Amino acid sequence: MANDREVLREIWDGKLPICFQLAQEEIMEIQQPDPFYVMVPRLSYFPLVTDKMKRHFLRFISQENADNEMWLDYNGQPLKWHYPIGFLYDLYCGIDPQLPWTLTVHFTKFPEDVLLHCPNKDVVEAHYMSTVKEADVLKHRGQVMSTMQKKDHNQLWLGLQNDKFDQFWAINRRLMESHGDNEGFKHIPIRIYSDDGSCFQRLVSPKNVDGSRKVLQQMIAELYPDKINIKLRTHGITLPLDTPLQWLSEHMSYPDNFLHLCVC
Amino acid sequence: MDQNSTLSVEDFVVAATSFYEISNRLADGWKLIKDENETYKTYIKKHTFLQVERDGVQSLLKTELVIFFNLSYGVPAFSFNIWNSSGVLLTLEEIRHMSFVTLNQKEFYSVITQQEHPIFLRPYFIVHPCHTAELLSALRQGSKNIIVTFLGLITPLLKLDLSMEYGL
Repeated sequence: MANDREVLREIWDGKLPICFQLAQEEIMEIQQPDPFYVMVPRLSYFPLVTDKMKRHFLRFISQENADNEMWLDYNGQPLKWHYPIGFLYDLYCGIDPQLPWTLTVHFTKFPEDVLLHCPNKDVVEAHYMSTVKEADVLKHRGQVMSTMQKKDHNQLWLGLQNDKFDQFWAINRRLMESHGDNEGFKHIPIRIYSDDGSCFQRLVSPKNVDGSRKVLQQMIAELYPDKINIKLRTHGITLPLDTPLQWLSEHMSYPDNFLHLCVC
Repeated sequence: MDQNSTLSVEDFVVAATSFYEISNRLADGWKLIKDENETYKTYIKKHTFLQVERDGVQSLLKTELVIFFNLSYGVPAFSFNIWNSSGVLLTLEEIRHMSFVTLNQKEFYSVITQQEHPIFLRPYFIVHPCHTAELLSALRQGSKNIIVTFLGLITPLLKLDLSMEYGL
């Protein structure tokens, strides 16, 4: 069970200051637009927090591009909207923090070979719900999500979208429970990324073969047998190597119920 | 979903290899790409061209079909991309209107979505794996090759040319 409420709250409240700038080649006015500053929740997704910013820049671009799909880049790297904002920051700026995080806004040349299309927020919701479902398949063979009602699914999404901690956790706690007599999930929903863009997926058990609880160090030794001194970062912190995986999954997962860790 | 309904990575690789051997005999173009380090990244793929007609205009589309292993669900998964003759990716809405799609609008959007491909980390259209496990577990007993059986579930939705000699 996710019992350490202070930790959950601390992670939920994590925010990042962002400075959005319109790409130079998009500016059609003589007057340069001011950059747009905003504090955004680390756990949110860009399409949920960029409506105002988009309206701010719309009057500076060519009107024929106004209905185009907007996209963002950091240092020339298109940002995948379907990952949580805090994860993207840790991936690209974790080693060399820069605040505010300065991102470039585009309305043309959508890089369709890199980014998923996101015509509206329903697409974000569908993506989010299917990721939670996948995590539940790993943890409980999908049994918790399939026994929840549609209104519970909605509450989870609305809690995240409207930044309502209590609303979200009233439902999410059920996804963080262990079932049966064995204390722990079947598998830990986890994705490990390197900043070269590669991603690592494995079926990871929260327990060692002898039944003892597995800690981060032991998982690293299994996944990277030939590398030592690998550190993993999430929510802006480097994780202590003696953290039990089960605790990590219950408390440090993103709202999509996956641990998104960056190699550093 | 029950433990018995899921497939191990090793089962998938065995099935993919034998599927590839049948394809070779039939010379119908499926390729097997193995990843020795990351077994779950093994997949089979095929490139084809589709001749389509819309409003009396003929056009040629390039398609890429990829069958890979969904590690979380423990099932084979089907993904594809389609490009027009200018090399632009077709949108989900454009694909829905293609004559080879036999799903109605509501089914289509709940079954096929654009997602980041877990192996290529690029956008692909992926058929949602949610019901695959249940269906496959029911069919697995009588199945000679689980990928052939799996394609038997997909082909009514997307009319792909699959030779009868695979034993469908």
